Amino acid sequence: MSLALQARAAARICYFNGIIPLWRQPLLMGAVFLTPFSFLFFLYVIAQRAELPFGILGGVLFTVLFTGNGMLNDCAYLRLERQLQQIFVVSPVRPLAYVLGMALSELAFALPALVLFLGILATVHPFGLGALALLAGVIVLTWLMATTLGFLISTFFRQLREIWPIGTLVFSSLSVLPPLFYPIAAIPAGWRWVAFLAPSTFAGQLADYAVGLPAAGGFSPPALGSPWFDLAGLVGSTFLFALAAMFLSRWREP
Amino acid sequence: MEALSAVHLSKDYPARGRPVRALDEVDLALEKGRLFAFLGRNGAGKTTFIKIAATLLLPTAGSVTLFGHDVVREPAKVRPDLAIVPQEGRPFFHLTPREHIREYLLVRGAASESARDRTEQMVAAMGLGPYADEPSYRLSGGLQQRTLVAMILATRAPFLFLDEPTLGMDPFARRQVWEVIREAVRAGSTVLLTTHYLDEAEQLSEELAVIEGGHVLYRGTAEALRSTLHREVRLQFTGGVTRDDLAPHGRVYADRDRLVLLTTRAAVRGLTELALERGSEMTVGPVTLEEAFLELVGRGIEEGT
Repeated sequence: MSLALQARAAARICYFNGIIPLWRQPLLMGAVFLTPFSFLFFLYVIAQRAELPFGILGGVLFTVLFTGNGMLNDCAYLRLERQLQQIFVVSPVRPLAYVLGMALSELAFALPALVLFLGILATVHPFGLGALALLAGVIVLTWLMATTLGFLISTFFRQLREIWPIGTLVFSSLSVLPPLFYPIAAIPAGWRWVAFLAPSTFAGQLADYAVGLPAAGGFSPPALGSPWFDLAGLVGSTFLFALAAMFLSRWREP
Repeated sequence: MEALSAVHLSKDYPARGRPVRALDEVDLALEKGRLFAFLGRNGAGKTTFIKIAATLLLPTAGSVTLFGHDVVREPAKVRPDLAIVPQEGRPFFHLTPREHIREYLLVRGAASESARDRTEQMVAAMGLGPYADEPSYRLSGGLQQRTLVAMILATRAPFLFLDEPTLGMDPFARRQVWEVIREAVRAGSTVLLTTHYLDEAEQLSEELAVIEGGHVLYRGTAEALRSTLHREVRLQFTGGVTRDDLAPHGRVYADRDRLVLLTTRAAVRGLTELALERGSEMTVGPVTLEEAFLELVGRGIEEGT
């Protein structure tokens, strides 16, 4: 099957695994939106209003990162519960087309929540088109990173029940603990490097930079405070997870 | 021409202690354009064989070639020619049967118009018309299975793996599916089918294999398998006779309140007289494939009932 047909296969998978379910069960949109919005609500109630833009950006990135959790659960569900991954393996569809199609369908689920969060952000903390373009880049890289990680993990388990806690653990660690909902300045200067152990911190820092939120000073070493460092970190992590998914994930059972 | 050839195919699954051998040096060749049935008990190795041949699972040793390509080394070359009905598969939750068939054809690279035409043909052939636009979560288990089978058979793939395709279907639906499978074979597809319905294997397959404990015990036609019993007639007695009366004439087993005797044609006259004399109700028929199967896998008919 040609590259164009593989691309069409990915688009069709997105259509029937993402758009049709959303159309038939719009409540799915609410489920994606609810958790990050709850965080934001509590931040708004208990934190200083000045830090609200961080919380909204946190909502954006949480939503994007949780496409990875969706990917993990969806792929595992289709493979283990419905045995449907088999029909794609035993077909002309290449693994990349399947993964891209599934990842696009997760993005389709997340898109309404993303638009809403970006709309709120634009109201609370106006930003220009250049910032939106940068933010879109961060969102795309984070989405690729999260979904490839989700797919990779999904292929290693034989029971659905084993997967549920793993997804929550991994993606909550990536989205709640690192400085996404709060400024990195909230972490003591000497410990900020720890935040970069989670690749999502790169995305958070870049997103803050994109919309002009104040960056924290006092990084040690100082290079940790540079957006180029964040960009390299995010691109590198995405590349690494994509490579891992390509070479380590199990398209065929061992 | 051979469509599939397995040579010394073995598969070990890891387990606590030592590995469990699911396939043990299986040799098997299937001709192109034929329907071949795999019979065996649960865990006999049927699905393992199908999964390896269909590029879903790696073997421990041995090889399988499909249309001349090694399934381990060249999976991308064989996959476009394959399609599978997975064992205990279930369709997508939100999609209708019509969407399942059409979308799967499009995913596999069919042109839009061709996908639409083949979808409508398959919906009609599988009797899915009244349910074609209902989301699958509203359909019964049998209709969901029919949807899954329809989307795979619509592909017209040169090699079709059907792992228990009619599981959970009513007798009418099974016959509809059989007809569509026969049509696929007439159109040139090679079909490897597993089933626990022995009548299905008999109705559909030109040849079958019985697998037990990872070994192929038998390969040939259903008729030849039945003849391995060396008893052609099945007599069923209700009342009037005892097991001891029948035992000298062949193999006897109990089927609820009846006694079943597998015997030779020559014994029928004498046994008919015995039944008349004792006032026993007796029915006569050919031995079934199931009886031959039970005998072959070494479980014994008595134990099997």
